Amino acid sequence: MIAVELRKLFRRPRTWVTIAMLNALPVLVAVLLAVTDLAPRPGEGPVFLSAVLTNGTLYPLAALAIVLPLFLPIAVSVVAGEAVAGEAQAGTLRYLLARPAGRTRLLVAKLVSVIAFVLVTVVVVAAVGYVTGQLLFDVQPIGGTTLSGTTITPEQIAWRTVLAIGYITVSMLGVAAFALFFSTLTDSPLAAALGALAVLIASSLLFTLDAASSFAPYLPTRYWLAFVDLFREPVLWRDVVRGIGLQAVYVVVLVSAAWANFTTKDITS
Amino acid sequence: MLLALPPLIGALPASDAGTPAADLRRAALDSTGVAFAGYAQAAGGLALPVGEQLTGVADLLSDRTTMRAWYRGPADWRVDVVSPTGETGVHADAGGTWTWDYVASAATRTADTALALPTAPDLLPSALGRRLLSEATDAELSRFGADRVAGRDALGLRVVPAEGSASVGRVDVWVDAASGLPLRVQVFGESGGEPAVDSSFLELDLTTPEVEVVDFAVPPAAEVRAGQDPQLLQAATRGTRDSTLVLPAALAGLGRRTIEGAPATVGVYGRGVTLLTVSALPGRASNGLRTALAGAPGAVVDDLGVRIAAGPLGLMLADGPDGAVLLTGTVTLDALAAAATELTGEAP
Repeated sequence: MIAVELRKLFRRPRTWVTIAMLNALPVLVAVLLAVTDLAPRPGEGPVFLSAVLTNGTLYPLAALAIVLPLFLPIAVSVVAGEAVAGEAQAGTLRYLLARPAGRTRLLVAKLVSVIAFVLVTVVVVAAVGYVTGQLLFDVQPIGGTTLSGTTITPEQIAWRTVLAIGYITVSMLGVAAFALFFSTLTDSPLAAALGALAVLIASSLLFTLDAASSFAPYLPTRYWLAFVDLFREPVLWRDVVRGIGLQAVYVVVLVSAAWANFTTKDITS
Repeated sequence: MLLALPPLIGALPASDAGTPAADLRRAALDSTGVAFAGYAQAAGGLALPVGEQLTGVADLLSDRTTMRAWYRGPADWRVDVVSPTGETGVHADAGGTWTWDYVASAATRTADTALALPTAPDLLPSALGRRLLSEATDAELSRFGADRVAGRDALGLRVVPAEGSASVGRVDVWVDAASGLPLRVQVFGESGGEPAVDSSFLELDLTTPEVEVVDFAVPPAAEVRAGQDPQLLQAATRGTRDSTLVLPAALAGLGRRTIEGAPATVGVYGRGVTLLTVSALPGRASNGLRTALAGAPGAVVDDLGVRIAAGPLGLMLADGPDGAVLLTGTVTLDALAAAATELTGEAP
């Protein structure tokens, strides 16, 4: 069933259009920077973007930082929100469940396909960022400079970028879990996606408020930017570890809630 | 259960060793040799109306500062101020400090000077605690129980300054029971309430950090700059050399201290956590500051000049016989007015 869901997801043109649109913005930003030679002042704009004019190997990270706050969560919410509610809206959920596989297996298959989408999307953004960076900017043979001012080799940059890709994927799983849970509550994929986005916007807003500092460590977006800590020397693992733990809690709780809801629900469409 | 775990561990009772206050202070002051690596946060609640001058200092005293520290010895340490998208690291060696600023891609070399503006490493609980305890007398000290800070048993030590002119109500320092290292420092104003400065370790490891972590090499393509502190000191000396300001041996009941290398026109008075700094100010520097101070909420403007209190920190720009005099320190507004009266001979 997992293979069926994966084939369905990646054969759908909409999936690839979403991924392509997600890549359009970082590519446009790269072209503008390369043509005008005007990078944002350090400390302004998305993280690492100020450094790419002199070191194109950092562009995969800059590309991820560009899409991380809004575009990536939107794409993930839309796909995950559609997982169950999309079938219900199209009237195909009844037929899917008529198979002897059972509801739990269907939910697991949907979950795996959403996780696969998140991973493929993040990897494609990084890969397109890598190609863009190599083509449009200077690439330093000696590597680059960490946030702490130490020199790192291209191999170290590559390793830490792989870790950052993994971390951003994990960060997006929380979003996917929210959308998947909402997707089992409603028959409207749009409502499920918007519900997940509303949670994220509320979380981002509350994070900026000092008055909300007592529960800030539990907000789903709290540790999203912690992938930057992988580029300090020594690596600051504190927030990265907490971010992974927090997303794990959200995924376990929300997927359990989605399972409890989906397995006991009356399927009418 | 996962959510409940951190508060449960934090609520574990800390053991109170019953160490006398004077012994605990001695242990804290002797902890300069204790090597550690730590993660700390400092929150300042002081809104300094300093306009465009000294924004770095104002940010330090009003914002939340997150720091990573590696300490091998008094002249061999590193403190990084970590922000979501950047980092500023101070690396100390025997001759001074290197400050690496990622955002500016610049490394700044600063030699040790007698007078320097406060920087983030001064807010680290270990450094701040030792500094605030350094001149406390036994009569000013008391104990107040124990707590767990950064997962370690910490003993509470309180300083209540004896001077009548003190604007600091009390300083609470939590000292590591095992090593003597100050782990948390809270500075309160006269009225108590929220602390004006609250600095605490959140993680601490008492193993000696590697040399490579603390050492600094200027990265290729980085800009190298010279520190501003010596220039500031020179400017203060040069700009005020025509000043006829005479600094008396005592001001507002506080005795004068001698500081090696400080310009003659800068006087520091008081002891412990009650300090008053007096300096003649060149005309162009004073105008901007006067406007900023007069516009601050709660500013007192009279014949003596303009004075404000930002938490326990008092700032005054007094009109001297030939130019402005800046008075600043942890003293009350009344003490600032008394000091200005003694300096200028005018009644408020």
